[in-house]
Amino acid sequence: MLKDFTKGIIKENPVFIIVLGLCPALGVSTKVVNSIGMGAGVIFVLLGSNIFVSLLKDFIPEKIRIPSYIVIIASFVTVVEMVMEAFIPALYDSLGVFVPLIVVNCIILGRAEAFANKNTVKSSILDALGMGIGFTLALMLISLVREVFGLGTITLFPIGNFSGVIEIPGISNAPVRVFGLAAGALLVMGFLKALFNWVGELRRVK
Amino acid sequence: MKEIFKTGAKLAVICAVAAISLGIVNAVTDPIIIAARAARLNAALQKLSLGFEIGELVAVDDGSAVTGYYPLTDAGNIIAYIIKVIGAGYADDLNLLSAISIKGKILSAVLMENSETPGLGKEAENASYMEMFTGKGDGSVIPFRKSQLEHDDADSITGASITFIGIGKALNKASEFAINLGGM
Amino acid sequence: MSYIGIIITFVFINNFILTQFLGLCPFIGVSKNVESAVGMGFAVTFVMALASISTWVIYNYILIPLDIEFLQTITFILVIAALVQFVELVIQKISPALYKALGIFLPLITTNCAVLGIALINVRNDFNAIESFIAGIAAGFGFLLAILLMSTIRVKLDSEWVPKPFRGIPIAFITGGLMALAFMAFDNALLNNLLG
Repeated sequence: MLKDFTKGIIKENPVFIIVLGLCPALGVSTKVVNSIGMGAGVIFVLLGSNIFVSLLKDFIPEKIRIPSYIVIIASFVTVVEMVMEAFIPALYDSLGVFVPLIVVNCIILGRAEAFANKNTVKSSILDALGMGIGFTLALMLISLVREVFGLGTITLFPIGNFSGVIEIPGISNAPVRVFGLAAGALLVMGFLKALFNWVGELRRVK
Repeated sequence: MKEIFKTGAKLAVICAVAAISLGIVNAVTDPIIIAARAARLNAALQKLSLGFEIGELVAVDDGSAVTGYYPLTDAGNIIAYIIKVIGAGYADDLNLLSAISIKGKILSAVLMENSETPGLGKEAENASYMEMFTGKGDGSVIPFRKSQLEHDDADSITGASITFIGIGKALNKASEFAINLGGM
Repeated sequence: MSYIGIIITFVFINNFILTQFLGLCPFIGVSKNVESAVGMGFAVTFVMALASISTWVIYNYILIPLDIEFLQTITFILVIAALVQFVELVIQKISPALYKALGIFLPLITTNCAVLGIALINVRNDFNAIESFIAGIAAGFGFLLAILLMSTIRVKLDSEWVPKPFRGIPIAFITGGLMALAFMAFDNALLNNLLG
Protein backbone atom coordinates (compact mmCIF):
# COMPACT_ATOMS: atom_id res chain seq x y z
CA MET A 1 0.00 0.00 0.00
CA LEU A 2 2.68 2.44 1.03
CA LYS A 3 4.56 1.56 -2.16
CA ASP A 4 1.77 3.26 -4.18
CA PHE A 5 2.83 6.49 -2.48
CA THR A 6 6.63 6.21 -2.42
CA LYS A 7 7.22 4.91 -5.95
CA GLY A 8 6.38 8.26 -7.57
CA ILE A 9 8.93 10.20 -5.56
CA ILE A 10 12.18 8.63 -6.80
CA LYS A 11 11.85 5.18 -8.37
CA GLU A 12 9.19 6.20 -10.91
CA ASN A 13 9.72 9.94 -10.71
CA PRO A 14 7.46 11.36 -13.45
CA VAL A 15 9.94 13.97 -14.68
CA PHE A 16 13.36 12.35 -14.32
CA ILE A 17 12.56 8.66 -14.80
CA ILE A 18 9.39 8.44 -16.92
CA VAL A 19 10.16 11.81 -18.59
CA LEU A 20 6.62 13.19 -18.70
CA GLY A 21 5.21 16.64 -18.04
CA LEU A 22 8.24 18.35 -19.49
CA CYS A 23 6.63 21.54 -20.80
CA PRO A 24 5.66 22.95 -17.40
CA ALA A 25 8.76 21.45 -15.77
CA LEU A 26 10.95 23.67 -17.94
CA GLY A 27 8.52 26.50 -18.69
CA VAL A 28 7.85 27.66 -15.14
CA SER A 29 11.04 26.58 -13.38
CA THR A 30 12.71 29.99 -13.44
CA LYS A 31 11.89 30.57 -9.77
CA VAL A 32 11.44 28.15 -6.89
CA VAL A 33 8.14 29.76 -5.88
CA ASN A 34 6.69 29.13 -9.36
CA SER A 35 7.62 25.46 -9.10
CA ILE A 36 5.86 25.15 -5.76
CA GLY A 37 2.75 26.85 -7.17
CA MET A 38 2.75 24.69 -10.29
CA GLY A 39 3.34 21.57 -8.19
CA ALA A 40 0.43 22.43 -5.89
CA GLY A 41 -1.83 22.90 -8.92
CA VAL A 42 -0.78 19.58 -10.40
CA ILE A 43 -1.19 17.72 -7.08
CA PHE A 44 -4.72 19.10 -6.74
CA VAL A 45 -5.71 18.15 -10.30
CA LEU A 46 -4.06 14.74 -10.08
CA LEU A 47 -5.78 14.01 -6.77
CA GLY A 48 -9.17 15.10 -8.11
CA SER A 49 -8.89 13.22 -11.37
CA ASN A 50 -7.52 10.04 -9.77
CA ILE A 51 -10.34 10.02 -7.19
CA PHE A 52 -13.10 10.58 -9.75
CA VAL A 53 -11.68 8.22 -12.37
CA SER A 54 -11.35 5.53 -9.73
CA LEU A 55 -14.88 6.16 -8.38
CA LEU A 56 -16.45 6.19 -11.85
CA LYS A 57 -14.49 3.28 -13.31
CA ASP A 58 -17.60 1.08 -13.50
CA PHE A 59 -19.84 3.88 -14.77
CA ILE A 60 -17.67 5.05 -17.68
CA PRO A 61 -17.85 2.73 -20.72
CA GLU A 62 -14.56 1.61 -22.23
CA LYS A 63 -15.20 3.43 -25.54
CA ILE A 64 -15.55 6.93 -24.15
CA ARG A 65 -13.05 6.64 -21.33
CA ILE A 66 -10.48 9.06 -22.82
CA PRO A 67 -12.95 11.93 -23.50
CA SER A 68 -14.50 11.36 -20.06
CA TYR A 69 -11.10 11.53 -18.36
CA ILE A 70 -10.30 14.68 -20.31
CA VAL A 71 -13.54 16.34 -19.16
CA ILE A 72 -12.81 15.41 -15.54
CA ILE A 73 -9.22 16.66 -15.74
CA ALA A 74 -10.16 19.87 -17.58
CA SER A 75 -12.80 20.65 -14.93
CA PHE A 76 -10.29 20.40 -12.10
CA VAL A 77 -7.80 22.49 -14.08
CA THR A 78 -10.40 25.20 -14.63
CA VAL A 79 -11.14 25.20 -10.88
CA VAL A 80 -7.42 25.65 -10.18
CA GLU A 81 -7.30 28.48 -12.76
CA MET A 82 -10.22 30.36 -11.24
CA VAL A 83 -9.21 29.86 -7.61
CA MET A 84 -5.60 30.83 -8.32
CA GLU A 85 -6.63 33.97 -10.20
CA ALA A 86 -8.96 34.96 -7.37
CA PHE A 87 -6.72 34.34 -4.38
CA ILE A 88 -3.08 34.34 -5.55
CA PRO A 89 -3.15 36.60 -8.65
CA ALA A 90 0.63 37.21 -8.61
CA LEU A 91 1.33 33.50 -8.94
CA TYR A 92 -1.40 33.12 -11.57
CA ASP A 93 0.22 35.86 -13.64
CA SER A 94 3.68 34.42 -13.43
CA LEU A 95 2.59 30.89 -14.42
CA GLY A 96 0.72 32.33 -17.42
CA VAL A 97 -0.47 29.92 -20.08
CA PHE A 98 0.98 26.94 -18.18
CA VAL A 99 -1.97 26.87 -15.77
CA PRO A 100 -4.58 25.86 -18.39
CA LEU A 101 -1.93 23.65 -19.98
CA ILE A 102 -2.02 21.37 -16.90
CA VAL A 103 -4.83 19.68 -18.88
CA VAL A 104 -2.36 18.23 -21.35
CA ASN A 105 0.23 17.32 -18.74
CA CYS A 106 0.74 13.69 -19.74
CA ILE A 107 1.30 12.67 -16.11
CA ILE A 108 -2.34 13.25 -15.22
CA LEU A 109 -3.98 11.42 -18.13
CA GLY A 110 -1.25 8.79 -17.81
CA ARG A 111 -2.08 8.06 -14.15
CA ALA A 112 -5.82 7.95 -14.90
CA GLU A 113 -5.24 5.46 -17.69
CA ALA A 114 -2.44 3.40 -16.13
CA PHE A 115 -3.45 3.36 -12.49
CA ALA A 116 -6.70 4.96 -11.28
CA ASN A 117 -9.06 3.06 -13.60
CA LYS A 118 -7.84 -0.28 -12.28
CA ASN A 119 -7.31 0.45 -8.60
CA THR A 120 -9.26 1.37 -5.48
CA VAL A 121 -9.91 4.97 -4.48
CA LYS A 122 -7.51 4.65 -1.56
CA SER A 123 -4.53 3.48 -3.61
CA SER A 124 -5.39 6.03 -6.31
CA ILE A 125 -5.16 8.82 -3.74
CA LEU A 126 -1.78 7.55 -2.56
CA ASP A 127 -0.61 7.20 -6.16
CA ALA A 128 -1.72 10.77 -6.96
CA LEU A 129 0.03 12.18 -3.89
CA GLY A 130 3.23 10.29 -4.62
CA MET A 131 3.35 11.23 -8.29
CA GLY A 132 2.34 14.83 -7.55
CA ILE A 133 4.99 15.25 -4.87
CA GLY A 134 7.57 13.58 -7.13
CA PHE A 135 6.68 16.06 -9.88
CA THR A 136 6.88 19.00 -7.48
CA LEU A 137 10.25 17.93 -6.07
CA ALA A 138 11.64 17.50 -9.58
CA LEU A 139 10.43 20.99 -10.53
CA MET A 140 11.91 22.44 -7.35
CA LEU A 141 15.27 20.82 -8.10
CA ILE A 142 15.34 22.21 -11.65
CA SER A 143 14.24 25.66 -10.55
CA LEU A 144 16.69 25.70 -7.64
CA VAL A 145 19.61 25.15 -10.02
CA ARG A 146 18.24 27.66 -12.54
CA GLU A 147 17.39 30.38 -10.03
CA VAL A 148 20.57 30.11 -7.96
CA PHE A 149 22.83 30.36 -11.01
CA GLY A 150 20.58 32.42 -13.29
CA LEU A 151 19.40 35.09 -10.85
CA GLY A 152 21.51 34.50 -7.74
CA THR A 153 18.43 34.26 -5.55
CA ILE A 154 16.04 31.72 -4.05
CA THR A 155 12.46 32.99 -4.11
CA LEU A 156 9.99 31.48 -1.64
CA PHE A 157 6.75 32.77 -0.15
CA PRO A 158 6.95 36.02 1.83
CA ILE A 159 6.14 35.34 5.50
CA GLY A 160 5.95 38.20 7.99
CA ASN A 161 9.14 40.27 7.83
CA PHE A 162 10.81 37.81 5.48
CA SER A 163 10.40 39.11 1.92
CA GLY A 164 10.57 35.63 0.46
CA VAL A 165 13.75 36.28 -1.50
CA ILE A 166 17.09 34.89 -0.33
CA GLU A 167 20.02 36.52 -2.12
CA ILE A 168 23.10 34.42 -2.64
CA PRO A 169 26.21 36.52 -2.11
CA GLY A 170 28.74 36.34 -4.91
CA ILE A 171 26.24 35.31 -7.57
CA SER A 172 23.37 37.79 -7.27
CA ASN A 173 25.44 40.71 -8.59
CA ALA A 174 26.74 38.79 -11.60
CA PRO A 175 24.41 35.87 -12.34
CA VAL A 176 24.83 33.55 -15.31
CA ARG A 177 21.67 34.68 -17.05
CA VAL A 178 21.60 31.88 -19.59
CA PHE A 179 20.33 29.55 -16.83
CA GLY A 180 17.12 31.55 -16.79
CA LEU A 181 16.63 31.32 -20.55
CA ALA A 182 15.11 28.53 -22.61
CA ALA A 183 18.55 27.20 -23.52
CA GLY A 184 19.57 27.02 -19.87
CA ALA A 185 16.44 25.08 -18.96
CA LEU A 186 17.14 22.40 -21.57
CA LEU A 187 20.81 22.15 -20.58
CA VAL A 188 20.02 21.88 -16.85
CA MET A 189 17.42 19.20 -17.57
CA GLY A 190 19.94 17.25 -19.68
CA PHE A 191 22.62 17.30 -16.99
CA LEU A 192 20.20 16.43 -14.18
CA LYS A 193 18.81 13.50 -16.17
CA ALA A 194 22.38 12.29 -16.79
CA LEU A 195 23.01 12.55 -13.04
CA PHE A 196 19.91 10.45 -12.34
CA ASN A 197 21.06 7.86 -14.91
CA TRP A 198 24.52 7.74 -13.36
CA VAL A 199 23.22 7.31 -9.80
CA GLY A 200 20.74 4.68 -10.99
CA GLU A 201 23.56 2.81 -12.74
CA LEU A 202 25.75 2.91 -9.62
CA ARG A 203 22.93 1.49 -7.50
CA ARG A 204 22.27 -1.29 -10.00
CA VAL A 205 25.94 -2.32 -10.02
CA LYS A 206 25.91 -2.59 -6.23
CA MET B 1 -27.87 1.40 -31.40
CA LYS B 2 -29.13 1.37 -27.84
CA GLU B 3 -25.55 0.94 -26.66
CA ILE B 4 -24.41 4.06 -28.54
CA PHE B 5 -27.28 6.07 -27.09
CA LYS B 6 -26.45 4.94 -23.58
CA THR B 7 -22.77 5.72 -24.01
CA GLY B 8 -23.57 9.15 -25.43
CA ALA B 9 -25.96 9.86 -22.56
CA LYS B 10 -23.28 8.97 -20.02
CA LEU B 11 -20.77 11.31 -21.66
CA ALA B 12 -23.42 14.05 -21.75
CA VAL B 13 -24.08 13.55 -18.02
CA ILE B 14 -20.37 13.86 -17.21
CA CYS B 15 -20.08 17.03 -19.31
CA ALA B 16 -23.22 18.55 -17.79
CA VAL B 17 -22.06 17.88 -14.23
CA ALA B 18 -18.64 19.34 -15.06
CA ALA B 19 -20.13 22.48 -16.67
CA ILE B 20 -22.54 23.08 -13.78
CA SER B 21 -19.87 22.70 -11.10
CA LEU B 22 -17.56 25.03 -13.01
CA GLY B 23 -20.40 27.54 -13.32
CA ILE B 24 -20.78 27.49 -9.53
CA VAL B 25 -17.05 27.96 -8.91
CA ASN B 26 -17.02 30.77 -11.46
CA ALA B 27 -19.94 32.51 -9.75
CA VAL B 28 -17.99 32.44 -6.47
CA THR B 29 -14.57 33.46 -7.78
CA ASP B 30 -15.53 35.97 -10.49
CA PRO B 31 -16.52 38.83 -8.14
CA ILE B 32 -13.33 38.24 -6.12
CA ILE B 33 -11.21 38.41 -9.27
CA ILE B 34 -12.87 41.65 -10.38
CA ALA B 35 -12.54 43.21 -6.92
CA ALA B 36 -8.89 42.18 -6.67
CA ARG B 37 -8.15 43.70 -10.09
CA ALA B 38 -9.82 46.98 -9.10
CA ALA B 39 -7.84 47.03 -5.86
CA ARG B 40 -4.56 46.46 -7.69
CA LEU B 41 -5.36 49.25 -10.17
CA ASN B 42 -6.22 51.60 -7.34
CA ALA B 43 -3.03 50.81 -5.45
CA ALA B 44 -0.95 51.38 -8.59
CA LEU B 45 -2.68 54.72 -9.26
CA GLN B 46 -2.09 55.91 -5.70
CA LYS B 47 1.60 55.09 -5.98
CA LEU B 48 1.93 56.84 -9.35
CA SER B 49 0.02 59.97 -8.29
CA LEU B 50 2.95 61.21 -6.14
CA GLY B 51 0.41 62.57 -3.70
CA PHE B 52 -1.43 64.76 -6.20
CA GLU B 53 -5.14 64.53 -6.77
CA ILE B 54 -6.24 61.93 -9.34
CA GLY B 55 -8.98 63.03 -11.74
CA GLU B 56 -11.55 60.92 -13.58
CA LEU B 57 -10.41 58.45 -16.23
CA VAL B 58 -10.72 59.84 -19.76
CA ALA B 59 -10.94 57.04 -22.32
CA VAL B 60 -9.02 57.46 -25.57
CA ASP B 61 -10.12 55.46 -28.60
CA ASP B 62 -8.17 56.69 -31.59
CA GLY B 63 -6.51 53.38 -32.47
CA SER B 64 -3.17 54.45 -30.99
CA ALA B 65 -1.26 52.77 -28.18
CA VAL B 66 -2.72 55.14 -25.58
CA THR B 67 -6.06 53.88 -24.27
CA GLY B 68 -6.86 56.44 -21.59
CA TYR B 69 -5.52 58.91 -19.03
CA TYR B 70 -6.16 60.31 -15.55
CA PRO B 71 -5.23 63.98 -15.05
CA LEU B 72 -3.17 64.77 -11.92
CA THR B 73 -3.97 68.13 -10.40
CA ASP B 74 -2.26 70.31 -7.82
CA ALA B 75 -4.58 72.98 -6.43
CA GLY B 76 -6.81 72.81 -9.49
CA ASN B 77 -4.00 72.99 -12.09
CA ILE B 78 -3.16 69.99 -14.21
CA ILE B 79 0.52 69.24 -13.74
CA ALA B 80 0.80 65.69 -15.08
CA TYR B 81 -1.14 62.72 -16.41
CA ILE B 82 -1.24 59.04 -15.55
CA ILE B 83 -1.40 57.51 -19.00
CA LYS B 84 -2.63 54.01 -19.82
CA VAL B 85 -0.58 52.74 -22.71
CA ILE B 86 -0.16 49.37 -24.40
CA GLY B 87 3.18 48.08 -25.64
CA ALA B 88 4.07 45.01 -27.68
CA GLY B 89 5.46 42.33 -25.40
CA TYR B 90 7.12 39.00 -25.94
CA ALA B 91 4.00 36.87 -25.75
CA ASP B 92 1.20 39.36 -25.36
CA ASP B 93 0.38 43.06 -24.82
CA LEU B 94 2.17 44.96 -22.08
CA ASN B 95 -0.28 47.09 -20.11
CA LEU B 96 1.55 50.06 -18.66
CA LEU B 97 0.56 52.92 -16.41
CA SER B 98 2.89 55.88 -16.45
CA ALA B 99 2.83 59.24 -14.71
CA ILE B 100 4.12 61.81 -17.21
CA SER B 101 4.51 65.55 -16.73
CA ILE B 102 2.79 67.92 -19.17
CA LYS B 103 6.24 68.51 -20.69
CA GLY B 104 6.59 64.79 -21.44
CA LYS B 105 8.94 63.74 -18.61
CA ILE B 106 8.43 60.20 -17.26
CA LEU B 107 7.86 60.64 -13.52
CA SER B 108 7.19 56.98 -12.78
CA ALA B 109 5.82 53.91 -14.49
CA VAL B 110 4.51 50.49 -13.63
CA LEU B 111 3.89 47.37 -15.68
CA MET B 112 0.41 45.93 -15.06
CA GLU B 113 -1.09 42.85 -16.81
CA ASN B 114 1.35 41.02 -19.06
CA SER B 115 2.34 37.50 -20.05
CA GLU B 116 6.11 37.87 -20.12
CA THR B 117 8.47 35.02 -19.33
CA PRO B 118 8.97 34.53 -15.58
CA GLY B 119 12.46 35.58 -14.53
CA LEU B 120 13.07 37.48 -17.78
CA GLY B 121 10.49 39.88 -19.16
CA LYS B 122 8.56 39.55 -15.88
CA GLU B 123 11.41 41.36 -14.13
CA ALA B 124 9.96 44.54 -15.64
CA GLU B 125 7.30 44.34 -12.93
CA ASN B 126 9.93 45.27 -10.34
CA ALA B 127 9.96 48.94 -9.39
CA SER B 128 13.74 49.11 -9.95
CA TYR B 129 13.36 48.12 -13.62
CA MET B 130 11.53 51.34 -14.43
CA GLU B 131 14.45 53.43 -13.14
CA MET B 132 15.90 53.10 -16.65
CA PHE B 133 13.03 55.28 -17.86
CA THR B 134 12.17 57.65 -15.01
CA GLY B 135 13.40 61.19 -15.36
CA LYS B 136 13.76 60.74 -19.12
CA GLY B 137 11.85 62.71 -21.75
CA ASP B 138 11.47 66.50 -21.85
CA GLY B 139 14.88 67.06 -23.44
CA SER B 140 16.48 63.65 -22.91
CA VAL B 141 15.78 60.46 -24.87
CA ILE B 142 13.46 57.80 -23.46
CA PRO B 143 15.44 54.67 -24.35
CA PHE B 144 13.92 52.00 -26.58
CA ARG B 145 17.13 50.54 -28.02
CA LYS B 146 19.80 48.66 -26.17
CA SER B 147 22.45 51.09 -27.47
CA GLN B 148 20.71 53.94 -25.64
CA LEU B 149 21.33 52.34 -22.24
CA GLU B 150 24.16 52.45 -19.72
CA HIS B 151 26.30 49.32 -19.76
CA ASP B 152 24.86 47.86 -16.52
CA ASP B 153 21.28 48.48 -17.58
CA ALA B 154 21.93 46.96 -21.00
CA ASP B 155 23.29 43.86 -19.26
CA SER B 156 20.27 43.54 -17.04
CA ILE B 157 17.81 43.32 -19.92
CA THR B 158 19.68 40.54 -21.73
CA GLY B 159 17.25 37.84 -22.72
CA ALA B 160 14.31 40.17 -22.39
CA SER B 161 15.11 42.86 -24.93
CA ILE B 162 11.69 42.47 -26.56
CA THR B 163 10.02 43.47 -23.31
CA PHE B 164 12.39 46.41 -22.95
CA ILE B 165 11.81 47.64 -26.50
CA GLY B 166 8.03 47.27 -26.06
CA ILE B 167 8.05 49.33 -22.86
CA GLY B 168 10.44 51.94 -24.29
CA LYS B 169 8.38 52.51 -27.41
CA ALA B 170 5.10 52.64 -25.47
CA LEU B 171 6.54 55.22 -23.04
CA ASN B 172 7.76 57.34 -25.94
CA LYS B 173 4.23 57.37 -27.36
CA ALA B 174 2.77 58.18 -23.95
CA SER B 175 5.24 61.03 -23.51
CA GLU B 176 4.30 62.49 -26.88
CA PHE B 177 0.64 62.13 -25.98
CA ALA B 178 1.15 64.05 -22.71
CA ILE B 179 2.95 66.87 -24.54
CA ASN B 180 0.09 67.12 -27.04
CA LEU B 181 -2.47 67.28 -24.24
CA GLY B 182 -0.49 70.00 -22.52
CA GLY B 183 -1.79 71.77 -19.43
CA MET B 184 -5.24 72.59 -20.85
CA MET C 1 0.93 42.57 -36.58
CA SER C 2 1.22 41.84 -40.28
CA TYR C 3 0.79 38.28 -41.55
CA ILE C 4 4.47 37.99 -42.43
CA GLY C 5 5.28 39.30 -38.97
CA ILE C 6 3.14 36.57 -37.42
CA ILE C 7 4.85 33.90 -39.52
CA ILE C 8 8.37 35.03 -38.60
CA THR C 9 7.38 35.39 -34.96
CA PHE C 10 5.89 31.92 -34.59
CA VAL C 11 8.43 30.03 -36.72
CA PHE C 12 11.62 31.65 -35.38
CA ILE C 13 11.30 34.24 -32.62
CA ASN C 14 8.72 32.47 -30.47
CA ASN C 15 9.55 28.97 -31.71
CA PHE C 16 7.19 26.80 -29.68
CA ILE C 17 9.76 24.21 -28.67
CA LEU C 18 12.96 26.18 -28.37
CA THR C 19 11.67 29.29 -26.62
CA GLN C 20 8.18 28.54 -25.29
CA PHE C 21 8.66 24.95 -24.04
CA LEU C 22 5.50 23.76 -25.77
CA GLY C 23 5.54 20.30 -27.36
CA LEU C 24 8.68 19.03 -25.63
CA CYS C 25 7.47 15.45 -25.12
CA PRO C 26 7.33 14.56 -28.85
CA PHE C 27 10.44 16.69 -29.45
CA ILE C 28 12.43 14.36 -27.21
CA GLY C 29 10.39 11.20 -27.77
CA VAL C 30 9.86 11.11 -31.56
CA SER C 31 13.13 12.59 -32.83
CA LYS C 32 15.23 9.43 -32.97
CA ASN C 33 15.00 9.20 -36.78
CA VAL C 34 14.32 11.75 -39.48
CA GLU C 35 11.37 9.99 -41.09
CA SER C 36 9.18 9.81 -38.00
CA ALA C 37 10.20 13.33 -36.96
CA VAL C 38 8.98 14.71 -40.28
CA GLY C 39 5.78 12.66 -40.03
CA MET C 40 5.11 13.96 -36.54
CA GLY C 41 5.94 17.51 -37.63
CA PHE C 42 3.46 17.50 -40.50
CA ALA C 43 0.74 15.82 -38.43
CA VAL C 44 1.14 18.46 -35.70
CA THR C 45 1.13 21.33 -38.23
CA PHE C 46 -2.04 19.99 -39.81
CA VAL C 47 -3.86 19.61 -36.49
CA MET C 48 -2.62 22.98 -35.20
CA ALA C 49 -3.95 24.79 -38.27
CA LEU C 50 -7.35 23.10 -37.97
CA ALA C 51 -7.43 23.56 -34.19
CA SER C 52 -6.61 27.28 -34.45
CA ILE C 53 -9.48 28.00 -36.80
CA SER C 54 -12.06 25.76 -35.09
CA THR C 55 -11.30 26.99 -31.57
CA TRP C 56 -11.47 30.56 -32.87
CA VAL C 57 -14.96 29.95 -34.30
CA ILE C 58 -16.15 28.27 -31.10
CA TYR C 59 -14.67 30.93 -28.84
CA ASN C 60 -16.12 33.86 -30.77
CA TYR C 61 -19.48 32.43 -31.82
CA ILE C 62 -20.37 30.18 -28.87
CA LEU C 63 -18.41 30.97 -25.72
CA ILE C 64 -18.51 34.79 -25.93
CA PRO C 65 -22.23 35.15 -26.89
CA LEU C 66 -23.20 32.76 -24.08
CA ASP C 67 -20.83 34.50 -21.67
CA ILE C 68 -19.15 31.25 -20.66
CA GLU C 69 -15.52 32.06 -21.46
CA PHE C 70 -14.58 30.26 -18.25
CA LEU C 71 -15.28 26.96 -20.04
CA GLN C 72 -12.53 27.81 -22.55
CA THR C 73 -9.97 25.22 -21.45
CA ILE C 74 -12.45 22.35 -21.26
CA THR C 75 -14.07 23.17 -24.64
CA PHE C 76 -10.75 23.64 -26.43
CA ILE C 77 -9.34 20.32 -25.28
CA LEU C 78 -12.54 18.50 -26.25
CA VAL C 79 -12.52 20.18 -29.67
CA ILE C 80 -8.90 19.15 -30.16
CA ALA C 81 -9.56 15.57 -29.06
CA ALA C 82 -12.54 15.31 -31.42
CA LEU C 83 -10.58 16.94 -34.22
CA VAL C 84 -7.72 14.47 -33.86
CA GLN C 85 -10.17 11.55 -33.98
CA PHE C 86 -11.86 13.04 -37.03
CA VAL C 87 -8.59 13.67 -38.87
CA GLU C 88 -7.55 10.10 -38.10
CA LEU C 89 -10.79 8.74 -39.62
CA VAL C 90 -10.61 10.95 -42.71
CA ILE C 91 -6.97 10.17 -43.46
CA GLN C 92 -7.65 6.46 -42.97
CA LYS C 93 -10.46 6.58 -45.55
CA ILE C 94 -8.86 8.88 -48.11
CA SER C 95 -5.21 7.92 -48.12
CA PRO C 96 -4.10 4.67 -46.50
CA ALA C 97 -0.50 5.52 -47.40
CA LEU C 98 -0.62 8.82 -45.52
CA TYR C 99 -2.40 7.07 -42.67
CA LYS C 100 0.40 4.57 -42.46
CA ALA C 101 2.91 7.42 -42.25
CA LEU C 102 1.05 9.69 -39.81
CA GLY C 103 -1.40 7.30 -38.14
CA ILE C 104 0.65 6.28 -35.13
CA PHE C 105 1.41 9.90 -34.25
CA LEU C 106 -2.15 11.19 -34.30
CA PRO C 107 -3.36 9.87 -30.93
CA LEU C 108 -0.27 11.41 -29.30
CA ILE C 109 -1.20 14.85 -30.60
CA THR C 110 -4.21 15.32 -28.31
CA THR C 111 -1.89 15.62 -25.33
CA ASN C 112 0.70 17.73 -27.17
CA CYS C 113 0.86 21.04 -25.30
CA ALA C 114 1.64 22.86 -28.53
CA VAL C 115 -1.87 22.32 -29.92
CA LEU C 116 -3.80 23.49 -26.87
CA GLY C 117 -1.09 26.14 -26.47
CA ILE C 118 -1.72 27.74 -29.85
CA ALA C 119 -5.49 27.82 -29.22
CA LEU C 120 -4.99 29.60 -25.88
CA ILE C 121 -2.31 31.94 -27.23
CA ASN C 122 -4.57 32.97 -30.14
CA VAL C 123 -7.27 33.97 -27.66
CA ARG C 124 -4.78 35.83 -25.45
CA ASN C 125 -3.50 37.75 -28.49
CA ASP C 126 -7.02 38.68 -29.69
CA PHE C 127 -6.17 37.31 -33.13
CA ASN C 128 -8.87 37.38 -35.80
CA ALA C 129 -9.79 34.28 -37.83
CA ILE C 130 -7.09 34.64 -40.49
CA GLU C 131 -4.41 35.64 -38.00
CA SER C 132 -5.27 32.60 -35.85
CA PHE C 133 -5.06 30.28 -38.82
CA ILE C 134 -1.72 31.71 -39.94
CA ALA C 135 -0.36 31.59 -36.40
CA GLY C 136 -1.43 27.92 -36.21
CA ILE C 137 0.35 26.97 -39.42
CA ALA C 138 3.43 29.02 -38.57
CA ALA C 139 3.73 27.56 -35.08
CA GLY C 140 3.33 24.10 -36.62
CA PHE C 141 6.15 24.78 -39.09
CA GLY C 142 8.28 26.08 -36.23
CA PHE C 143 7.68 22.75 -34.49
CA LEU C 144 8.49 20.86 -37.71
CA LEU C 145 11.70 22.84 -38.18
CA ALA C 146 12.91 22.21 -34.63
CA ILE C 147 12.07 18.49 -34.60
CA LEU C 148 13.63 18.00 -38.07
CA LEU C 149 16.89 19.70 -37.03
CA MET C 150 16.88 17.71 -33.80
CA SER C 151 16.41 14.37 -35.54
CA THR C 152 19.20 14.96 -38.06
CA ILE C 153 21.56 15.82 -35.20
CA ARG C 154 20.50 12.74 -33.22
CA VAL C 155 21.10 10.46 -36.20
CA LYS C 156 24.66 11.85 -36.40
CA LEU C 157 25.07 11.46 -32.63
CA ASP C 158 24.29 7.74 -32.93
CA SER C 159 27.63 7.17 -34.59
CA GLU C 160 29.56 9.21 -32.03
CA TRP C 161 30.78 8.09 -28.62
CA VAL C 162 28.74 9.60 -25.80
CA PRO C 163 29.50 9.01 -22.07
CA LYS C 164 27.13 6.35 -20.80
CA PRO C 165 24.99 8.38 -18.38
CA PHE C 166 24.39 10.95 -21.14
CA ARG C 167 23.20 8.49 -23.78
CA GLY C 168 19.65 8.86 -25.07
CA ILE C 169 17.50 11.50 -23.39
CA PRO C 170 20.13 13.62 -21.57
CA ILE C 171 22.20 14.29 -24.68
CA ALA C 172 18.97 15.07 -26.55
CA PHE C 173 18.17 17.77 -23.99
CA ILE C 174 21.67 19.19 -24.18
CA THR C 175 21.44 19.26 -27.99
CA GLY C 176 18.09 21.04 -27.67
CA GLY C 177 19.68 23.54 -25.28
CA LEU C 178 22.42 24.36 -27.76
CA MET C 179 19.83 24.74 -30.52
CA ALA C 180 17.87 27.11 -28.28
CA LEU C 181 21.04 29.17 -27.81
CA ALA C 182 21.35 29.46 -31.58
CA PHE C 183 17.70 30.47 -31.87
CA MET C 184 18.33 33.38 -29.49
CA ALA C 185 19.70 35.14 -32.56
CA PHE C 186 16.11 35.53 -33.72
CA ASP C 187 14.42 38.34 -31.82
CA ASN C 188 12.11 41.26 -32.36
CA ALA C 189 15.01 43.44 -33.48
CA LEU C 190 15.40 41.09 -36.46
CA LEU C 191 11.70 41.42 -37.20
CA ASN C 192 11.93 45.21 -37.08
CA ASN C 193 14.93 45.23 -39.40
CA LEU C 194 13.19 42.94 -41.88
CA LEU C 195 9.82 44.65 -41.91
CA GLY C 196 10.81 48.18 -40.91
